[in-house]
Parts: sequence; structure tokens; C-alpha cells
Amino acid sequence: MIELTLKKQLLSSSGEFTLDAQFNVAAGEFITLFGPSGAGKTTLLRCLAGLAEPDAGRIVVGGETWFDGAAHHSLPPQQRRVGYMFQDYALFPNMSVRGNLEFAQPRGADKRRVSELIELMALGEMQQRKPATLSGGQQQRVALARALAAEPRLLLLDEPFSALDHATRVRLHEEVLAMQRRYGLTTVMVSHDVGEVYRLSQRVLLLEQGKLVQQGTPAEVFGVGHAGGKFSFAGEVLAIEAADVVFAVTLLVGNQIVRVIATADEAQRLKPGDRVMLLSKAFNPVLVAC
Amino acid sequence: MSYDWQPLLLTFKLAGVTTLILCLIGIPFAWWLSQTKVRIKPVLETLVSMPLVLPPSVLGFYLLLAFSPTHWFGSFVDQAVGLKLAFSFEGLVIASVIFSFPFLVHPVQSGFQNLSPSLSEAAYTLGKSRWQTFLYVLLPNIKPQLLAGIVLAFAHTIGEFGVVLMIGGNLPGETRVASIAIYDEVESLNYASANFYALVLFAVCFGILLTVYLLNKKLIMRVGGI
Amino acid sequence: MNSLPGIITAIESNEHLSLVDVLVGQDSFTAMLLETPQSAPHLKVGNRVAVLFKETEVSLAKNLSGLLSLRNRIKATVRSIRHGEILSEVVLDHHGQTVTSIITSRAVKRLELQQGDEVEALVKANEVSLMEADNEL
Repeated sequence: MIELTLKKQLLSSSGEFTLDAQFNVAAGEFITLFGPSGAGKTTLLRCLAGLAEPDAGRIVVGGETWFDGAAHHSLPPQQRRVGYMFQDYALFPNMSVRGNLEFAQPRGADKRRVSELIELMALGEMQQRKPATLSGGQQQRVALARALAAEPRLLLLDEPFSALDHATRVRLHEEVLAMQRRYGLTTVMVSHDVGEVYRLSQRVLLLEQGKLVQQGTPAEVFGVGHAGGKFSFAGEVLAIEAADVVFAVTLLVGNQIVRVIATADEAQRLKPGDRVMLLSKAFNPVLVAC
Repeated sequence: MSYDWQPLLLTFKLAGVTTLILCLIGIPFAWWLSQTKVRIKPVLETLVSMPLVLPPSVLGFYLLLAFSPTHWFGSFVDQAVGLKLAFSFEGLVIASVIFSFPFLVHPVQSGFQNLSPSLSEAAYTLGKSRWQTFLYVLLPNIKPQLLAGIVLAFAHTIGEFGVVLMIGGNLPGETRVASIAIYDEVESLNYASANFYALVLFAVCFGILLTVYLLNKKLIMRVGGI
Repeated sequence: MNSLPGIITAIESNEHLSLVDVLVGQDSFTAMLLETPQSAPHLKVGNRVAVLFKETEVSLAKNLSGLLSLRNRIKATVRSIRHGEILSEVVLDHHGQTVTSIITSRAVKRLELQQGDEVEALVKANEVSLMEADNEL
């Protein structure tokens, strides 16, 4: 579906670097561009949408050449028919929810698609409201519906859920997946949320300083540590307290505070502020629904 | 006592025509200025702002020179379209457009600049041309600034004096606008007439500005979704 | 953490799980892993690995007889005991290697553990991790 090769000089806070990527995406596939901020993920997405132009390379989508550096050919974004979800949603403030969707439709498109999307995404009650009166999660759903109303050949998601709370995010993941499957859309997402990538995408491309350093299924890319334990988390030592002949070490892992038993020997080598890896066998943890 | 309404009507005609032309030139120019990355942008912005700081007589003086039939510009316009710009209504319109340019361009430009660039980009990815985007997405979302720009330009043209005096003179029905008429009446110690013009101008300008502030509050509220 | 150097001698695996035998000195250790040689390339017969298990997972037995499901039984000598109120740390010597066990002080008392005692340290296979030997933790 997508064959992409491109080079583009980029400027970041850490200096100049070259975005140099090559990958293919199969029809109907959901892939994620993953990596630290400033790695060139969003630029790559913008190059696909035609909002930025590579210095060199070739982008062919569904047999149609969208960009060819050698031939100085670049299809304008208007003719690419991509559904692009912006980080800030970019809903048109002057139009109602329904107005946003209708405006997105190609000329002569069936108005019933708008009604269908409004129903599918449960936007019925807010269809006459202006975007500014909606919550972040609602705006995000409208943005997704609008992208779909354009009957895109390709769905591009630029960190679409980064501004949302966890519960809303998880709910939207399901909606995105449902819509993506319903319309069989080839989708490219930019994200730096491992959980999100795991849930949504079939393939991850790991981007660092403009280079594709790794790709594979989320399990392969975020896979396993070396210690034979499936559980390995990076953490920070917060406190070490004696508890009998052992020590209780308090750690910050992600946003959670956890406590782990360490021997005197281990505790001696640690001090608050140290970065540590927390490893466990996959057999010990107990799962409880919450 | 009967009043001569002609200077007042002329004033509003001048302000109306000027504002109309300003909208046609100034709004697209403000948009271009908000988007462009050309190197001479600071120079252009300075030129646009010059009328804010320059004494009107300076601008008037140069325009008078340019409009004179002996100058290449004046004679060119005369020969090409048969317009004599010096001491004519048409000359006043051109001068007013230049002089009120920043009053329209500044608010509108800042309005465009404050819009998220992703709005235009979203419209482009949805297949909308630049023109459609401008008309349906950008303009409707800078209504408060648009209104402010139009009204400021209109009101400023009403209040113009120096430039008009320099290049328009005092021809009744042609260039004798209200601000000139007030000056003229005071010169001839005709205070009652001067007061009439002054009062009307005061009332009209007050009314316009008040309307803008009231409307803008509503507009901002609606845009802000409060 | 207890860490003993060893060499992989056998691997038995299905789709997700592997049972890996590791030779440590003259003793055989077994680790149960949620990994397979396909997903973890370092699992290969002949590879050097470190056998890792937490001190609190090591049980001690004295004069043990009968059948036991546990695969990892280490004959060792008690080198020292540090008594705590609830927990005690028992350091064992196993052919020159150190293995530490943390058990309840109650158990130390019940077993009447003394320095120089012969004991068996017991570790369930699913508590044992393997790490590539060249990879320091």
C-alpha cells in the first residue's frame, strides 16, 4: 500500500540531523512510529500527508506516486485524501460538530455517511454544539469522525491521545480500532506511549535521531529483558529502610511507588536517587481485576 | 439656522469607499503577511506601520508631489484612466487607504497569526483549496479582529485631517470633508456650525466604537465557548 | 540476590515455557522460564549463564528424606547466621560458592541451626532466573 523512502534535513534542539527512513506498509495494516520526541516521527507523518516536503526520496501509495524527489513531483495535500488527526485536534471552531463532519466530506459525497459516523461514534447529542464546548475526549472523537468523513485512503494519527486521561484514552483506543477495522483503513500513528502502541498497532517502527533503528511487532520491539524474567521495569530508589536482617527499598516505577525486599548486601550498594532495574519472574505476580 | 450636511455625507462616503478598498486589499495582504517567511517581511511591516508614527503632513506632502500632473505617477494616472488625483475625491481615497492601512492590517494579521496552523493544514488534508480554507475556515474564526480592523479603519478615516488638508484642499462636494469644514468654520469664527459638525462626528465615532466593544465581547464569548 | 555461574546442559520447551538445566559446579540446577529458545536467543545448550534467585526464596532442610517435587536441592554448610527478630539470614557455603537464605527466625530455632551444620537449600524451579553470563546486572 505504502512504499516510502525519504531523506530530510531536520533541525532539533540538539542540533541538525537527517531524517532517513525507508519502510513499506501493507494495505489495512496499523503501524506506529515510536521514539523519543524530536526523532522525526511527526515530520515523517507530515511528509506522508503532504504538509511537509522531503529533500529527496519517493512516496508511492496504492500505486500512485505522491512524492518523487528526482522528478520534482509532489502531490498537494488536497489530492492525497488522507485522514489526519492532529495533536491539537484542529477542529474548526466556527462550525458545529456536524458542520465539521459535513465540511470534511468530498464534493458530492453521501450525507448519510455523516449521520452514520455521528451514530457510530455516539456524537448525536452534541452534533449541534461548537467544538469549544466539548471535553478533550469528545473533541478527539469528533476529530476521528471528521477524518473518517473525508473517506480517506490512509489514516494518519499524530499522538492523538496524548492530552487525555487514562480512562478516556483506553475507551478511544477501542473506538479507533473498531473504526480502523470497519473501514479497513491503512493507518500510521505517531506515539510514545508503549501501552497505546501495544494495544493498537500490528507493527512498530522505532525511530531515533531520524533513523529507523528497529522494527517488528510490539512484542518483539518492547520484548523481553535478558534475565529470563518477563518483568523488568526501570525505577528510581526513593528510600532504603532497615527491616530486621533485610531492608525495605521504596522505589518509584512509572507513577507507582512500590516496595521491595533487599538483602543487607544489596542495600549497601544502593542510595536514594539511584536508577535500578526491577526484575521479577513471571511466575510470582498475582493478577487481580480492578 | 440650516446646516450644510454635505461635508458630513462626503466624510462618510470617503470612509465607506476607503474601508471597502481596504478590505479587498488589506485582508488578503494581512493573511499573506501572517504566513510569509520572505526576508523583507520586517521592511514590509515597517512600511505598513509608518502612517502610525509619521506626521500626516509628511505623507500628504509626498502624495501631493506624486499626484501632481508634472510627476510621472500623476501624469500616468491622468493619461491612463483620466483621473486627476490632486485636489480630487479619488486622490483622497488613495491617500486614506494608505493612511488607514495599519489600522486594518494590524488586528487582522494578529488574528490570523493567533490561529493554529493546524486549522489550515486540516482543511488542506480534507481536500479544501487555499481559497476555500481562507473563506470558510480562517475568516470566520477571526471575526472579532476583522470587526475591530474594519471599524478602526473606518473611524480613523472619518477623523483624518492633515493628509486631506495637504492633498484635498477645501473644495465643497469634492474634498471638503467634515474635519476640514470644522477647521474652516472656526477660522471664520462660525462656532455654531463647527459645533454641529464636531458633535455629529463625536456622536458617530462614539456610537461605532461602543457597538464594536459590545459586539466583540459577545463574539469573544461565543468563540471562547463560554 | 544469589548468583551462581553455570553452563546450560539441556532445554525442554513447549510453545511458551522452557525447563532449562544448568550445571553449577557438580550440581544440576533447573530453571522454569516463560521463554523459549526462539524468543530468547541466549537459551542455548553450552551457553554460560548466571543462575539467579532471591534469598527469600531459599528454604532450608536438615536431615531431609523422602520424595520431594523440588528440583533444586543444594547440599551446603552453614557458614554464619545473623539473627533478627522475625527474619534471619543464613549464609551457606556450597563448594566455595556463597548461597544466602532468608528464613524466619522461628524456623532457625526449630531446625536448631548452628554454624557448621550440614543442610540442604531448596529452591523451586520457577523462582530461578537465568541471565547471560557476559551481561552484568
